[in-house]
Amino acid sequence: MTPFELVEPASLGEALALLDPDDPAVRPIGGGTALMLMMKAGFFEPRRLVSLRGLGPGITGINEGADGALDIGAMVRLGQLERSPVIRRAAPVIAETLVTHSNVRVRNVATIGGNLAHGDPHMDLPPVLIALGAEVVAASPSGERRIAVENLVESYLETALGGDELITSLHIPSQRNRRAAYIKVTARSADDWPALGVAVSLAVENRAIRAPRIAIGAATETAMRLPKAEAALTGGASWRDTGREAAAEAPVIGDHHGSAAYKRVLVGVTVERALRRALAGVEIAG
Amino acid sequence: MNDTAFVSTGQVGRSLPRVEARAKVTGTAEYIHNFRLPGMLIGKICRSTVPHGRIRHIDTSAAAAIPGVYAIVTGEDIRKIIPDPYYGPAFHDQPILALDKVRFVGEPVAVALAADPHIAENAARAITVEYDELPAVYDEVEAVTATAYVHDVLKPAGTFADLKHLVGRRQTNVALDFHLRRGDVEAEFAAADHVFAHEFRTQQVMHTPLEPFVSVAEAANGAVTIHTASQNPSFVRVEIARLLGLKENRVRVRTAFLGGGFGGKLYIKLEALVTALTLIAQRPVKVSLTMEEQFFTITRHPCTFRIKSAVTKDGRVTARKCEVYYNGGAYADIGPRVAQKSGFAAAGPYDIANVHIDSFETYTNRPPAGALRGFGTPQLVWAYESHTDLIARALSLDPVEFRRRNLLRDGRPQATGTVMRDAPLAAVLERAAAAIGWGQPFDRGSGPVKRGRGIAIGFKASISPTASVAIVNLSGDGSCTLYCGTVDMGQGSTTAMAQIAADCLGIEAETVRVIAADTDVTPYDMGTLGSRSTYHMGLAIQRAAADAKAKLAALAAELGVPEGTNLPIAELFRRKYGAQAGNIIGTGSFMPSHKSPDPQTGQTDDATPYWMSAATGCEVEVDTETGRFRILRLVNVADCGTAINPRIVETQLTGATVMQLGFTVYEGMEFTDGQLRNPSFAEYKIPGIRDMPARLEGEIVTSRQGGGPFGAKGVGESGTYAVSPAIANAIHDAVGVRISALPITAEKVYRALREAAGNPLPED
Ligand SMILES: Cc1cc2nc3c(=O)[nH]c(=O)nc-3n(C[C@H](O)[C@H](O)[C@H](O)COP(=O)(O)OP(=O)(O)OC[C@H]3O[C@@H](n4cnc5c(N)ncnc54)[C@H](O)[C@@H]3O)c2cc1C
Repeated sequence: MTPFELVEPASLGEALALLDPDDPAVRPIGGGTALMLMMKAGFFEPRRLVSLRGLGPGITGINEGADGALDIGAMVRLGQLERSPVIRRAAPVIAETLVTHSNVRVRNVATIGGNLAHGDPHMDLPPVLIALGAEVVAASPSGERRIAVENLVESYLETALGGDELITSLHIPSQRNRRAAYIKVTARSADDWPALGVAVSLAVENRAIRAPRIAIGAATETAMRLPKAEAALTGGASWRDTGREAAAEAPVIGDHHGSAAYKRVLVGVTVERALRRALAGVEIAG
Repeated sequence: MNDTAFVSTGQVGRSLPRVEARAKVTGTAEYIHNFRLPGMLIGKICRSTVPHGRIRHIDTSAAAAIPGVYAIVTGEDIRKIIPDPYYGPAFHDQPILALDKVRFVGEPVAVALAADPHIAENAARAITVEYDELPAVYDEVEAVTATAYVHDVLKPAGTFADLKHLVGRRQTNVALDFHLRRGDVEAEFAAADHVFAHEFRTQQVMHTPLEPFVSVAEAANGAVTIHTASQNPSFVRVEIARLLGLKENRVRVRTAFLGGGFGGKLYIKLEALVTALTLIAQRPVKVSLTMEEQFFTITRHPCTFRIKSAVTKDGRVTARKCEVYYNGGAYADIGPRVAQKSGFAAAGPYDIANVHIDSFETYTNRPPAGALRGFGTPQLVWAYESHTDLIARALSLDPVEFRRRNLLRDGRPQATGTVMRDAPLAAVLERAAAAIGWGQPFDRGSGPVKRGRGIAIGFKASISPTASVAIVNLSGDGSCTLYCGTVDMGQGSTTAMAQIAADCLGIEAETVRVIAADTDVTPYDMGTLGSRSTYHMGLAIQRAAADAKAKLAALAAELGVPEGTNLPIAELFRRKYGAQAGNIIGTGSFMPSHKSPDPQTGQTDDATPYWMSAATGCEVEVDTETGRFRILRLVNVADCGTAINPRIVETQLTGATVMQLGFTVYEGMEFTDGQLRNPSFAEYKIPGIRDMPARLEGEIVTSRQGGGPFGAKGVGESGTYAVSPAIANAIHDAVGVRISALPITAEKVYRALREAAGNPLPED
């Protein structure tokens, strides 16, 4: 590692001004857990890191709106989310997901903004947030915009964010009347990055499943929804058949964690099990 | 003198908390990792990017031009000050920095020196090396017949008489071939009721101590001092003295506590490098590796084991043929000893009349392999206990009963001809079976989830012959200082050695001060390896204590004090010197008897001073829809003779079990064309706290090792022996499929299930 400049601006405007869209060696830093791994391996040699931790309460708070929607500042630590009573009530699947996420040391440092901007496919939260219909709020010198989490990552480590654009917060629409579940599958130790993550979120009305969202991560190049499986489920397919549809549909790739053929099997079984978990104790017609 | 004549005074057998515990948890224990010297330079290593190649050119100019760089050092620079800069315990085959050729990806080629580690690191990255690539060989079986040769000529170290026949051998990758012949296996195979043959493989894994390799050297006035995280400072001293042409007394090697060793920090690792660098730079030099660089330093041998047995219809094994190929990587390290000293026990702890063993240590273009907690034994047990289970199942015999029928009993000769003594294999097996509830009905699971149980047993001979020397020093106030070269790397030896010394002297173990290995101060010890220290160093300490007591008695007699007096030691000194003054120095040394195996037949009636054994029982739950499995229970039962410190024994057993669990189900260095594909702990996962089996237990059986200090022997490795096959056997019991290559992954189990169902999963 070579010495570099670490700046801690006090305002968003200052932070944006310190970024440089033309210099890839200038980057924002949240908790630094992902950046440090890349720096140690020599993949990234920063010239300047813009820390967002001086940006004030807007970026470090968790707020629940009257309708139950959540706004989470980009600098909220994953451990804070895990322990937050608000999150445990309004979106418990997030807290449940974090229990098996990395380890307590990483969770206490890593931020939600850094998590989402990292763009590594082997992550737990992106499919969960996609299933919940979450959006990020991004700010750049040309203004603010919202990006659905499912559109945020474009390919391996590549996001839709501009070089002078920051995630300032995460918006999660109200989850009232919806149920959700996430299943993490690791191929090695329990604290490993996921080999596959499956998140489902749905509503049940009149003993029927409504508006299901099924998302997978880790086994594909980016986290994504599986619309055909969602349609099958809405159309009354069994959980097992929905899983089969998901396995057929997902563009699964092989890697250190397992072959594509094996991971397709995992997708089918895990989608079925995630639906079973989300719907535990609920009666469904048909 | 009769070593077992000591009657315990109660210090041995206490679960004394570790004497260094407070220092460790308060951060005051010394580790070389934290050691600094004024004016010290840091060395960062530039490593080979090709698996096998001739070095055409090393361009150091860009690196040397970086401000703050002190020097860039290559193998040729070292050759100028050390004319023959090759080291190794069995072969002098490893250059301090690559010379002429590189033999594996990650081999050290050059070093950048700077006071600032970041500058040194950048400079190391700025060195460019051009290679002419050579054909390479990676597989241990292919290495035997390959025409790509890792070394042009074999260079065994002169110190081992039994390697002399290998001197100057060319056109071979076989660094050592060990043969054992007993009876006539072929005749037995021809006549047998049943013959079974299988092949098993293990993968390359590594020690992963939390303190990576680290050494610091300084030189002045014709002498060198090396501060190093080493498991055998005495060896380092001898080898550095040889390289530099110095007498031993001009080389000082000292250690502190080690943050883990597991066999990795044996022999020469960074010590020759820092010594050469300090001589060139004329300043102290430290090299401390990153966690990741450990992948390119030392590993455990991958192994292919072909095993074949003749069995009678009533379940007696009458012949066994073993072909064992150890993959030693690019440099032999202690590999030849692994192939030989573990190889002779390859047929397992069974009473088999006809045995044929060929055990090979091969060179390949991979990172070197050496000793790792078990010295080649876990690879063997993996194969023979998987094989044993398959035979039992094929013959519809209960796996425990089948083992019981064939087990070696005390008084019977092992395959070498050495008669088994104090090896309670049957007690170990029976206790493990009882602990896991063998033979009793249990919940076999429901729906897609199935449960099964497995058992396995392994044994190991203590490596022989090796020597230990100890000094007991009684000061004027009667306090005791123990000088022993055993290195405490977390296994608790400081505490155990204090207990042994205290028991012999009739004092409290807490009051004994143990001096960490420092060759200027502590006497010779072969090394902290192979579960040898409790027995060998323990006996040396007993003898040193006996010597001190004899000298005390002589002093008492000289002063006219009656025999058996309860006069305090301090009072004796006071009467002798008229003040609190003086010392009594007791010395003791131990080296067991040994007879080298016959080079043709491997036969000897004195292969080892003692045998260590352990059995593992496992209960597992397998999800047949995914192949994923969960270990519900892992019980390890070992024989260690008298437990000097029962609590430490238990943690050694469970610690070794968890380590081997990682090697069984998670860990594996994955290579493509000699390039390591997972050189980080993001992709090489060791077990964490959430991977612990729901129940993890370690137990010992009651036994006594004849000749051992207070009837004790080693236990540091025993927990590793039988873990892997016990897990594979339990999976087989649960779902009827057999995994024959480690690691056992969920995907392998799932593929095997699909295969067995006649519906194999496509490759991709
Ligand atoms: C040991 C370990 C184990 C792990 N295990 C898991 C696991 O099991 N599951 C899992 O999902 N993940 C795992 N991870 C990954 C972890 O989730 C990420 O490293 C972490 O979430 C990144 O957050 P951070 O704040 O530390 O990001 P940083 O490292 O600070 O930044 C990551 C990236 O985001 C950019 N960035 C940071 N903040 C912003 C912002 N506000 N706006 C725009 N860009 C920004 C940075 O420039 C950088 O490119 C693991 C990581 C480690 C180190």
